[in-house]
Amino acid sequence: MIIVANPEMRVSVITPEDLRAIYTGARSQLPDGSHVLPVTLKGGPAHEVFLMNYVKETPDQFRTAWRKAVFTGQGAMPRAFESEAALLQFVASTPGALGYVSRVVPGDKVKPLSVLPPPH
Amino acid sequence: MLSRTHLLVVLCLVSSLCAQDLEGIQIHGFATQGFLFTSNNNYLSMRSSQGSLQWTDGGVSLVDSLSDHLRVGIQLHMYQLGDLGGPNIQVDWASGDYRVNDHLGFRAGKVKTVTGLFNDSQDVDAVYLWTLLPQSMYPIDNKSFLLSHLGGEVYGDLRLGGRRGDMQYRAFAGQANLDSTGGYVKQLADLGLVFTNPPGGRTYGGDLRWVAPWNAFTMGSSARVQAVDGTAPAGRLHVPPVVITSHYVQFNHKKYYAAVEYRREPINPTIIIGQTVIHSPADQHVWYVMGSYDISKRLQLGSYYSHYINAAADSSLPNNYSKDWDLSGRWNFNDYFYAKLEGHFLHGTALGYYTSTNPGGLKPRSNMLAARIGFSF
Repeated sequence: MIIVANPEMRVSVITPEDLRAIYTGARSQLPDGSHVLPVTLKGGPAHEVFLMNYVKETPDQFRTAWRKAVFTGQGAMPRAFESEAALLQFVASTPGALGYVSRVVPGDKVKPLSVLPPPH
Repeated sequence: MLSRTHLLVVLCLVSSLCAQDLEGIQIHGFATQGFLFTSNNNYLSMRSSQGSLQWTDGGVSLVDSLSDHLRVGIQLHMYQLGDLGGPNIQVDWASGDYRVNDHLGFRAGKVKTVTGLFNDSQDVDAVYLWTLLPQSMYPIDNKSFLLSHLGGEVYGDLRLGGRRGDMQYRAFAGQANLDSTGGYVKQLADLGLVFTNPPGGRTYGGDLRWVAPWNAFTMGSSARVQAVDGTAPAGRLHVPPVVITSHYVQFNHKKYYAAVEYRREPINPTIIIGQTVIHSPADQHVWYVMGSYDISKRLQLGSYYSHYINAAADSSLPNNYSKDWDLSGRWNFNDYFYAKLEGHFLHGTALGYYTSTNPGGLKPRSNMLAARIGFSF
């Protein structure tokens, strides 16, 4: 699982807690104050693994939580992509975009982020 | 009926878009159909003792992010619940949301009102297991009044650092009016007070909650102050500002969910009909405890107990208390369609009953079967 960001993103590392807060809608900024735009895959193994490992939710729980945010006027659903190629293309061309894929290959114009454990 | 048909057509059309992004505009919606059967009494203004399908709900929301910080949206909603609701489309919320940063944001317009765990989401059936939320705290016959207010809200998330989690706050102020087709107005009409304009008043309050790391545990408190005044041809209603306080704890980890919530609402309304002045003070103490488990991806089971008493009156009398044991199940057919089935064991008649649909009086106990099918996209 590789966390990818737009190449202009200043940070190179991210904590699991920040990832979870961003993907649950609790935060829209990285610790350096820059705006972040999370995107997802519509389904598949990479989507399920990412949600279980970093968001600690099943795809159903994730969808339900975002539906709740949308229907209460507290958020807009993260944009979802059918394929990793489409997600990579969007992340590469959209400032602040953050996503995940199962792998990247040379030529993908995205910035892989390291996921660090939170401070103890 | 024309308006309801229009809404259903809109729902069908937009559902074919499957919540697509249309140049940044997100469209989502939901629709449900319910069924209620009670062994005694007619509940929630439905002829439920004969079995009633008069329970339809639908809504559609449009959200557009105009910039990284600014989002606007609107949600239209219609419902029919027995004699309540009707074909008119209501605005659930319609607001602009400016998020300065994670610590500070503003919403203005018609904004959903936060009180406890479920108040601002009680109209969205798709996001929870229960066919009926605990009626002692989230009365479905008055949800439109409790759901949102015209005004503003300030909100934010404060990181506590390390593994101490987050504090989330919301504070609001504005005006809230009774739903002219809702339960309170119907109860007043049953007394002879028929309003041409729905009573309402100022409201303000807030919510502060601590969310533990990984969001598995949430605890918090809400407070809401609400005044209601209104004049009808036959008389008037005056409710001095009521302070409603709620305290709650929620646990949500993997397949397990549990929550407990307590609320107190001391209220002292005065109803004047002609020369008759009616004072009916009440000190409402309400709590519930609930739990659920995800048996599989498709099946979820749960139960709750909900408790209401009016401590300002003789709480041994059935019309001053309401106790409700609930057993619930939900089946998700796919990502969009679901069905719910629920059994209730009701004791007491303080909540959910109307004189006009129970002209022969009320029995203190009733069992109830509630079912609901719905879709959401």
